[in-house]
Amino acid sequence: MTNALEVHDLRASIGDLQILKGFDLVVPFGEVHAIMGPNGSGKSTFSHVLMGKSDYEASGSAKVAGVEVMGLSVDERARAGLFQAFQYPTEIPGVTLDELTHEMALSNPDDTGFDQRIAETSERLSMDPFRTRSINLGLSGGEKKRSEMYLLGVADPRVAILDEIDSGLDIDAVRQVAAMVEDLRDPQIGVVIITHYSRILRYINADKVHVMVAGRIVESGGPEVADTLEAGGYADYQIAAASAS
Amino acid sequence: MTTSPALGQRDASWMAARRAEAASKVPALSMPSTREEIWRYLDLDFDPRLDAFAEAPGPAMAADAIVTGWKGEVISIVDGFATDASLPLVTETSEDELLTKETDLFVAAYMAFSPGAVVLSGDRLATPVLIDVQSTGSNTTFPGVHIDVPAGSDASVVVRMRSASDEGSVVVPRLTSVVGDNARLNLSVVQDWNYATRSFARAIVTLGRDAGLTLAEAGIGGLLSRLHLDVDFVGNGSYAKIYGAYFGEDDQTLDYRYFMNHIGTNTRCDMFLKGAVEDDALSVFTGLIRIEETGQKTESFQTNRNLILSSGASAQSVPNLEILANDVKCGHGSSVGPLDENQRYYLMSRGLTPDRADQLQVRGFFEQVVSHIPDDVVADWVRARIIAKYVTAQREGRV
Repeated sequence: MTNALEVHDLRASIGDLQILKGFDLVVPFGEVHAIMGPNGSGKSTFSHVLMGKSDYEASGSAKVAGVEVMGLSVDERARAGLFQAFQYPTEIPGVTLDELTHEMALSNPDDTGFDQRIAETSERLSMDPFRTRSINLGLSGGEKKRSEMYLLGVADPRVAILDEIDSGLDIDAVRQVAAMVEDLRDPQIGVVIITHYSRILRYINADKVHVMVAGRIVESGGPEVADTLEAGGYADYQIAAASAS
Repeated sequence: MTTSPALGQRDASWMAARRAEAASKVPALSMPSTREEIWRYLDLDFDPRLDAFAEAPGPAMAADAIVTGWKGEVISIVDGFATDASLPLVTETSEDELLTKETDLFVAAYMAFSPGAVVLSGDRLATPVLIDVQSTGSNTTFPGVHIDVPAGSDASVVVRMRSASDEGSVVVPRLTSVVGDNARLNLSVVQDWNYATRSFARAIVTLGRDAGLTLAEAGIGGLLSRLHLDVDFVGNGSYAKIYGAYFGEDDQTLDYRYFMNHIGTNTRCDMFLKGAVEDDALSVFTGLIRIEETGQKTESFQTNRNLILSSGASAQSVPNLEILANDVKCGHGSSVGPLDENQRYYLMSRGLTPDRADQLQVRGFFEQVVSHIPDDVVADWVRARIIAKYVTAQREGRV
């Protein structure tokens, strides 16, 4: 059976600096996975390399709904069904969300569901006041995350990578974002949450929690892994990783 | 004073005398030197043929989208001549008051050869006015407009400039305005000359007490198109918002020299110009905020942002401050750079091709100024022209 996301031996570097050192991950359709790790472990690099950002020298395999995306351009990966919700969504002055979703629909002429998804997602996330404003400009942290979740709902991807979706949010906003993620759970999509705090996992039933240290996954398990991290932190994993390399 | 006996006298004796005097000076004046700051960066190595001026208007151009979409009065100035001969022309007194700033070759030539500026005042400004300035041939033309906004009233004027043919010509437009106490002028200038035209426009706006100006300029055409603007904040409490959008390609030079002169107290100005250049085009912005000793409590800001879309294109951006008062707020910002990589990445991550992502970014870049053009038909026209230039360049691989 095809998985939503299959990543095998993903490696990435900037210049001489190796950041991803053989990263493996499988996310079946219908599941929500969390990747946790300390600052500098390569979590955000993973999401950017998967999306195809050109800053990195990358190798390995990444399949989205069975389609190899390594070697494709950023927009081709998006159209193959990959969606990245950004930790710091870029502000685009002078371009409204409505203009962007219009362009997204034009970019996917075979997908006739855009108008319906725009209407439904806008309603569900109360996005109306934001749709005619410049993208992410002057929005609060919580509003930016909501805007990203709105675009995710409009794009209807097969794989969603939510990079630090809980960073910079107060506890109420974390709950709201968690509820949006739970709403995403669907047999048509695999979801990956990247975070370095376990607190959002109190509100999301992650099927798997992966611990990332020094450029690779060092442990995978159920929600209990997050509880272990909560108690002991990343120190033991970091020492183990340091002695292994 | 908005009317006087001299108005409407195209061949008033004072004008004939003035012209003769000015014309006698023109041959002695040489082309300005690009060593002077105000002419710096330009290529002035051409024959301006200033005495080869149009002695009569050529055939008027057909109405286009801006003219047909216009919901107020339309005044045509063809090769410097108002097609409606009943329109009042500038008087000697106002000409003296308005043309005192400096004398150079182009000013002298304007004074020598212009058939006289059309004056808009009083009831004529009760509804929005479109001034359709046309250059129809290869002769040098000297179109002039004076807008006299009476105290306490609102006026809305669009000046658009266009060419009938592809022939190269020199145009020396002059735009003056006196905005009375408590009056407001909404002025848009759309420059759309052909790519063989060299245009040296001079504009001077004087603001009375609590008078307001909104100026939105769009620079699209011209081989060399210059706009030398002074806004004199004479009246206490006068204010202005100044927007500009320009897009150069090919060998175009788009040249802006903006001088904000704060003379009264409590005056305010926000200036925001955005431009893009591709191919071998050059843009120049030099802005000066000058605050006189009398200009206490002035707040004045200028920002100029430039996109460089091809490696052969360049932009000069030189904001300056000259502050003689001690209780003011002033600031300036300027930037020159390529399209933003983060914006491109973000838009591509939403499924847009790089070309579409860049088109959206260019549109957004200009939207911050184009959205301030008060007339929707004109604003849409400017949007469409800019993006069409960019999309064509993309298709031809020039950016």
